Amino acid sequence: FSRRRERAARGLGAGGAMEFRLEAHRIVSISLGKIYSARGQRGGLKLHKNLLVSLVLRSARRVYLGEPGGECALPPRPGPPPPPDCERLRRGCRPLASEAAARGRPECPAESPRKRSAAERDPAAGYPGKKPRRETEQPPPQEDMETGNVASLISIFGSGFSGLLGKERGAAEATEPGQVCCEQPVLRSLNPWSTAIVAF
Amino acid sequence: ETPKPPAAAAVCGGGGSDPVPAGASPWWAPQPPAPHTLRDMAGVAGGGGGGGGGNDFQWCFSQVKGAIDEDVAEADIISTVEFNYSGDLLATGDKGGRVVIFQREQENKSRPHSRGEYNVYSTFQSHEPEFDYLKSLEIEEKINKIRWLPQQNAAHFLLSTNDKTIKLWKISERDKRAEGYNLKDEDGRLRDPFRITALRVPILKPMDLMVEASPRRIFANAHTYHINSISVNSDHETYLSADDLRINLWHLEITDRSFNIVDIKPANMEELTEVITAAEFHPHHCNVFVYSSSKGTIRLCDMRSSALCDRHSKFFEEPEDPSSRSFFSEIISSISDVKFSHSGRYMMTRDYLSVKVWDLNMENRPVETYQVHEYLRSKLCSLYENDCIFDKFECCWNGSDSAIMTGSYNNFFRLFDRNTRRDITLEASRESSKPRAILKPRKVCTGGKRKKDEISVDSLDFNKKILHTAWHPTDNIIAVAATNNLYIFQDKIN
Repeated sequence: FSRRRERAARGLGAGGAMEFRLEAHRIVSISLGKIYSARGQRGGLKLHKNLLVSLVLRSARRVYLGEPGGECALPPRPGPPPPPDCERLRRGCRPLASEAAARGRPECPAESPRKRSAAERDPAAGYPGKKPRRETEQPPPQEDMETGNVASLISIFGSGFSGLLGKERGAAEATEPGQVCCEQPVLRSLNPWSTAIVAF
Repeated sequence: ETPKPPAAAAVCGGGGSDPVPAGASPWWAPQPPAPHTLRDMAGVAGGGGGGGGGNDFQWCFSQVKGAIDEDVAEADIISTVEFNYSGDLLATGDKGGRVVIFQREQENKSRPHSRGEYNVYSTFQSHEPEFDYLKSLEIEEKINKIRWLPQQNAAHFLLSTNDKTIKLWKISERDKRAEGYNLKDEDGRLRDPFRITALRVPILKPMDLMVEASPRRIFANAHTYHINSISVNSDHETYLSADDLRINLWHLEITDRSFNIVDIKPANMEELTEVITAAEFHPHHCNVFVYSSSKGTIRLCDMRSSALCDRHSKFFEEPEDPSSRSFFSEIISSISDVKFSHSGRYMMTRDYLSVKVWDLNMENRPVETYQVHEYLRSKLCSLYENDCIFDKFECCWNGSDSAIMTGSYNNFFRLFDRNTRRDITLEASRESSKPRAILKPRKVCTGGKRKKDEISVDSLDFNKKILHTAWHPTDNIIAVAATNNLYIFQDKIN
């Protein structure tokens, strides 16, 4: 076991924020791998396990992207910044991101504002079944870390997901009618939450 | 001269020895030791069911069942263990869909050492793999749970379930057969009626004991998600089955309908934040049941309040400790098992690192918390990576509710004495499997210099996990499932 890694996961250790993001990056990769490999499992998708993996993925993604609410995954650090509304986050609402709040959109309970914003960027993305394969978009420039690996990882799993969903469309719809998530797999617009759950 | 253990409390109407009798000192005050505590009887094993179960007993190896091979066949992995109400029968289910029932030997003067030994009584294939063509999914035959029905006649009944289908099995003995039929020969061939000139009365003749298992009811097609629990009601007529999102109520006689009593499926699956992880009926109140969630909460429901018990009567949750928060806080708070005490006054929950005892009258925090393997808290990231963090450990009470037991890794299992607050770690291994050998307590070294006989956290074998354990309802006999082997340990006095 790597002690440094483990302490980073607990939010301790020298290097602080950098270690968090490294750890978050690693956890995002591991989580996506688990969601991806879960589809081949005998006995069908295990809802409980995949829900837990989605929760971890969501927390890690928030920390990795430096989103508000990312601190909820970590023990509180002494200092001035006010704690985010962890209760809201735990109930499944999105944190009140400034852009969405500015638009005055409701943030609870579904992630619909996020989908809409992706659709605005790309009108074709919102239509299930009509999305053509596209190249990976450039990751947003404010990433100060080497994001190429993660972005391409996401796009592999992302396109793998929609490709798989396309193949198993009939099966998926027979179980749970739900919107098939066909967004362009840019890290920010990837909604692991709905992707994992709607996959059921 | 060693005292005999006191008789266990009756299942209905009476309580076990209750460490917090009503009207005594408040729950937060240290409890005086219960009568017959083993501190008073130092060195004498077996204060009986009333005294406590932890390390004051001398736990001895009794038997081990299963293959010795290092190579474990997946189908042989034991997935559930359950004693019946009298403790004379011990059932196991495995990943291959088979049920094996062991029976305790009666006292026999000619074979004194075999008294109390469990031997195979019946083996049958309960579930087979199925294929759901609509969803293109295979349905595993693994037995998730077995629950015995209380015995009402000579036959024994149990419920066994896989992910989708529950079956009621009747296990009956046949030790006589009829001979001398009129219309058929001894080998079963029909006789020509015109040849029969005289009539005779068939007589019963003894035969070698045969134990037959037959499926009497099949309860199917009621669960979209994977069944995790079944629980027989104290009315002995109904039972519940729970999957990730729903709980159904069945009548044992009726297979074509069930009542849905809990449904937590959101209208929009994207809003899903928690699932049901376990459910159980109250041992005495047939209208009360509890279910636990992946968020570490327990809801107690009363079926008299409404047909659909979506609104709980009680909600049990312990506030989170912010200083121990991590990426994995939510996963490790998910409850993997919930069990009422025999008295019905308490319930116990198991999450990844601890066991908690709750007083049904207090919703805001448990009355007792026992750390099972706290040294794993700093390893959660690695345990997430190798999937061990998703392991679902079960827990159980002893007959008098004075002790609890649960499993861990490296084939370790832990027993906690609620009265003395002492705990012990034991190991289920072939090495310590000499007949009637006393088990040596084990210890995990959590830091610093490793003492002799201690094992360091990094040396633990995470593939050897004890998820399923059972405690005899009245005696100090425990059954521990270690992958494909079933270990039976007894207190020395037995």
